[in-house]
Amino acid sequence: MAEPARQAAAAPFLEIRDLNAWYGESHVLQGMSFSIAEGELVTLLGRNGAGKTTTLRAMMGILDRRQGSVRYRGEELIGARSYRIARAGLAYCPEERGIFASLNVEENLKLLPIIDKGGMAVEEIYELFPNLAERRRSDGNKLSGGEQQMLAIGRILRTGARTLLLDEPTEGLAPVIVQRIGEVLRLLKARGFTILLVEQNFHFAATIADRHHLVEHGQVVAMIPNDELDAQRDLLRHHLGV
Amino acid sequence: MITVPLLGIPLQVLLGQLLLGLINGSFYALLSLGVAIIFGLLNIVNFAHGAQYMLGAFAAYFLLKLTGIGYWGALILAPLIVGALGLVIEQLFLKRLYKLDHLYGMVLTLGLAMVIEGVFRHFFGAAGLPYGIPSALQGGQNLGFMYLPNYRGWVIVASLIICFGTWYLIERTPLGATLRAATENRVLVEAFGLNVPRMVMLTYGSGVALAALAGVMAAPIYQVSPLMGTNVIVVVFAVVVIGGMGSILGAILSGFTLGLVEGLTKVIYPEAASTVVFVIMAVVLLTRPAGFLGRNQAAPTGNSFLADAVSLGARRWTKPVEIALLAFACVAPFFIYPLFLSKVLCFALFGAAFALLAGHVGLLSFGHAAYFGAGAYVTAYTAKAWALPPELAILLGTGVAALFGLLFGWLAIRRSGIYFAMVTLALSQLIFFVALQAKWTGGEDGIQAVPRGRLFGLVDLEQPLAIYFFTLVVFVACFLLIRRITSSPFGQVLKATAQNEARVISLGYKVQRAKLLAFVLSAALAGLAGSMKALVVKLASLADVHWSMSGEVLLISLIGGLGSLLGPIFGSFVLIGIGDYLAAAGAWVTVLQGLIFVFSVLLFRRGLVGGLDDLFGWFARRRGKAAAPLAIRPAAGE
Repeated sequence: MAEPARQAAAAPFLEIRDLNAWYGESHVLQGMSFSIAEGELVTLLGRNGAGKTTTLRAMMGILDRRQGSVRYRGEELIGARSYRIARAGLAYCPEERGIFASLNVEENLKLLPIIDKGGMAVEEIYELFPNLAERRRSDGNKLSGGEQQMLAIGRILRTGARTLLLDEPTEGLAPVIVQRIGEVLRLLKARGFTILLVEQNFHFAATIADRHHLVEHGQVVAMIPNDELDAQRDLLRHHLGV
Repeated sequence: MITVPLLGIPLQVLLGQLLLGLINGSFYALLSLGVAIIFGLLNIVNFAHGAQYMLGAFAAYFLLKLTGIGYWGALILAPLIVGALGLVIEQLFLKRLYKLDHLYGMVLTLGLAMVIEGVFRHFFGAAGLPYGIPSALQGGQNLGFMYLPNYRGWVIVASLIICFGTWYLIERTPLGATLRAATENRVLVEAFGLNVPRMVMLTYGSGVALAALAGVMAAPIYQVSPLMGTNVIVVVFAVVVIGGMGSILGAILSGFTLGLVEGLTKVIYPEAASTVVFVIMAVVLLTRPAGFLGRNQAAPTGNSFLADAVSLGARRWTKPVEIALLAFACVAPFFIYPLFLSKVLCFALFGAAFALLAGHVGLLSFGHAAYFGAGAYVTAYTAKAWALPPELAILLGTGVAALFGLLFGWLAIRRSGIYFAMVTLALSQLIFFVALQAKWTGGEDGIQAVPRGRLFGLVDLEQPLAIYFFTLVVFVACFLLIRRITSSPFGQVLKATAQNEARVISLGYKVQRAKLLAFVLSAALAGLAGSMKALVVKLASLADVHWSMSGEVLLISLIGGLGSLLGPIFGSFVLIGIGDYLAAAGAWVTVLQGLIFVFSVLLFRRGLVGGLDDLFGWFARRRGKAAAPLAIRPAAGE
């Protein structure tokens, strides 16, 4: 009886092992492997087309053809239907933000089901993003890019999920909003959320993350702890060109 | 007596017709609402909606007859029973189609409708069964200016409440928000933790239940008849197109409005009452292609309907098979009834004309009966009444069909995919009603005993062998023509358009013009097929222009294999064979055809020619393997 419990304790909080995924005939993920400890903020960095977004989509079960292993708190999720993965506790914030145009802000916010205790109340989310409170009756397609992004992050905080998969939350946003999102992410980390962040904006990532994974050709080619970034300049330049 | 000053129509008559219109409109609205909800989430045009409406009425009838449960009980139970059947249909059939082109869903539900309606027609015939008005709603109110039967008043009020209640549920409640979100992006909604498969299943069930509810309400007014759904479903499609596909409010408002407009037309110009909805649809499409309240959705590029079809180009085996077929066609009339074979050829030509558009351009027309029927009627009439020689009668029939093709095609090519299918369907209904009502078409009787005449004054086509070989020559000529067209640069543009329209436009081709030309060609060839058929069978009848003929030609191409030129030959052989040799089975033929539809869509989308292709491919591989080990396809999952 103690055996499985001990194993679960020993296993990483979130572990991706040998993940493969395909878009039609093209083999996009070719053995992604990495793991995240509880409470960490970890990034996937890489050029366009390296497979970062696909990794999140494969983890969420959105891709039809995927193989390998995604273990979350000891539970294997690779074969599960998408909604079961979400209910296991992975909350997804897609790159295109996925704000529903025919729903207003509040409807968007309340759309996601509560999967666990400890989610934020709607008023708490409005406190975190005051702009949204002013626009709670606006339709989703009337929001600015920044407001959309805040809504996309805000609504997954309500569900009680403890692990967030964020796909380029800073893309195309004004510096002041990027800064605000950085503050929010730090706050969430302080509150104990585990965050997997896909980023192109390396400089933004460096200000908040614990560790970075460099992704190329659908694989993790290097892992760099945030405090070794300076020492690994050459590696970064080689893989990211920054 | 008060009369309306301008029209000189007694006020009572006017109000009476408007009331009838409002009642029809109530049913249009209820049915369109269900179609719109289902279309919104599942993206399936539920062709079985009419059959499910009919099932609702029959459920009420049986509940009363077998268990003594009356109207009010039926109002609750019938939707539950039929809705449960909807859940089963979703789980057994529709669920398997979500990853395919949405047109397959339309075709499959058409097959289901044929099965359901065929079974009921077998047992209950075409006549209606009476269903009494519940005692609480008997009698009526004298409103002073007119008499309003209580039951009709109830129908109007109840359908208004149901329609706007549903609208409120979808547009203003959290449950509705979930549904709207899933309509926009169901993949993402599922990734947020909502059980979308269950939501889809329940939505289909609810839409079906709405149809059944309308059926129960209709039972005391229209009687319970197996055909009650067939008659109304095409109008409902037009209503949904006018309101804007997938728009709930649009469906409701245009349902009531068009009912009223129909009633008004009955007073002013009765002949146009059954066509006015389709005329309005054409006008709306011209001015507001997305319908009144529809969001103007971009037409999807890359039509996956072709995914199965495109793979059926010329193969190494096609030439020998073609030669074998031609040889067979030359000797067959000496041991198979030549007129049967001629009919097969006519329908094969019709199928090829249809497939030119569906398989090659990716435009699935659901109104090809219009051109086929127009050809048949014009040829039959000119050959009989004007005593034109057959070659001229055929030429005229083909020409008229081509003209209709030009007009309807010009309207229809503004849309693609499922919209295109529905628009062509509704337009073809115009031709149907003309054939039904015009004097020269002979109404229900059609044009009978059409003389075949002497071809170029030389060959007496009354001889079965003569008409057969004439048909064969025409067919082979058209076959070669279609092949020439599809392999020409023009054909390549069409093929490319089917795969990625935007890219073809960006390369500088006038895609709309190419599509229209293809449409006209297809309509002309369909008209030619109809003309030939009128001479072969010596009859042009309403069956030729009815929308079920459009379904039949789709079935012919589907059985044979869309996208393959040879396909329609096989498909026609099978389908005409079933129709002719099982004619005694009556409604069971429809059931069988429906089952073939369902079967083809679920398991056999590449058709007989696709099967043949697999077979020859398998032989080739076997032989290849014996000679030298070939590279093996990479196994899935490596």
